[in-house]
Amino acid sequence: MNGLTLNLLLAVVWMLLAGEVSARELLIGFLLGFGVLTLFPRALGTGGYVRRSLATLGFVGFFLRELTVANVQVALFALRPHPPLNPMLVAVPLRLRGDSAQTLLVVLVNLSPGTVALGFSPDRRTLYAHAIGTPDAQAARASIIRIEDHLLRCMAPHPPRPEVSP
Amino acid sequence: MSDFSPLRDIPILIGAFFVLTAAIGLVRFPDLYTRLHASSKLVTLGSAGIFLGAALELTDAAAFTRLAAVLLFHFLTTPLTAYLIAQAAYLRGLPPLLGGGGRRGIDEWGALGQAEQVAQADRDAQRAMTAEGE
Repeated sequence: MNGLTLNLLLAVVWMLLAGEVSARELLIGFLLGFGVLTLFPRALGTGGYVRRSLATLGFVGFFLRELTVANVQVALFALRPHPPLNPMLVAVPLRLRGDSAQTLLVVLVNLSPGTVALGFSPDRRTLYAHAIGTPDAQAARASIIRIEDHLLRCMAPHPPRPEVSP
Repeated sequence: MSDFSPLRDIPILIGAFFVLTAAIGLVRFPDLYTRLHASSKLVTLGSAGIFLGAALELTDAAAFTRLAAVLLFHFLTTPLTAYLIAQAAYLRGLPPLLGGGGRRGIDEWGALGQAEQVAQADRDAQRAMTAEGE
């Protein structure tokens, strides 16, 4: 069964046993249920769900830090007499697939320090981005790849696309 | 109402500061692409601070949830707008200022002003993917 469904089901069961229908009991049940899923990942088949949930929590922290750094950096550039902008357009090879995942990547790239997404290659395997404040193209690419790595850890692994022979 | 309340006023002041630097950046940065850095990042966090301050001021739960939704959609839409503006400008041929300070400019896309060709390549790739899927 899907990990999130099981977790919600456990939360509802807890709420029924507590005999009180409230958001507070539901939350307590959800957290306790999450603990159960963490303790018995083999029996319940929820190892992936627990791992992805924790990765998502870690990702939120990472994103808030990036957002703060990005804003302070651009604010300083706006106020300094001669900001070292060094603008460049870089191409980043992507491992992330799927329209909605890539849209989310664009949002996160635009909120991260020094990068604004510009477009995709026709096969959607390369992201082009405008970067400022980085010494070279390698550093600009590295910051986008770091965001992509975090996103990939939060997502269910896709089975590889089957090769179609003509 | 006139006295200072830190919980409400500090987020609003921080937000106002970032929106102010966004305005300064818009004037001082050299071209559209660098200005988009200021408008996408600074305006997002700046207005988020102002929304947060407003949400903490209005103790009403309905207002709080609505402002939370506004905050969420604000975070999703502002950066995407910057992406679309940058892409449209680039494909229609507005040259970005590259390099500077003695450094060589790098453009790894190389599709400046090629809106028609890129759109055609996109359509071809989509058609190829659809054909592959069938």
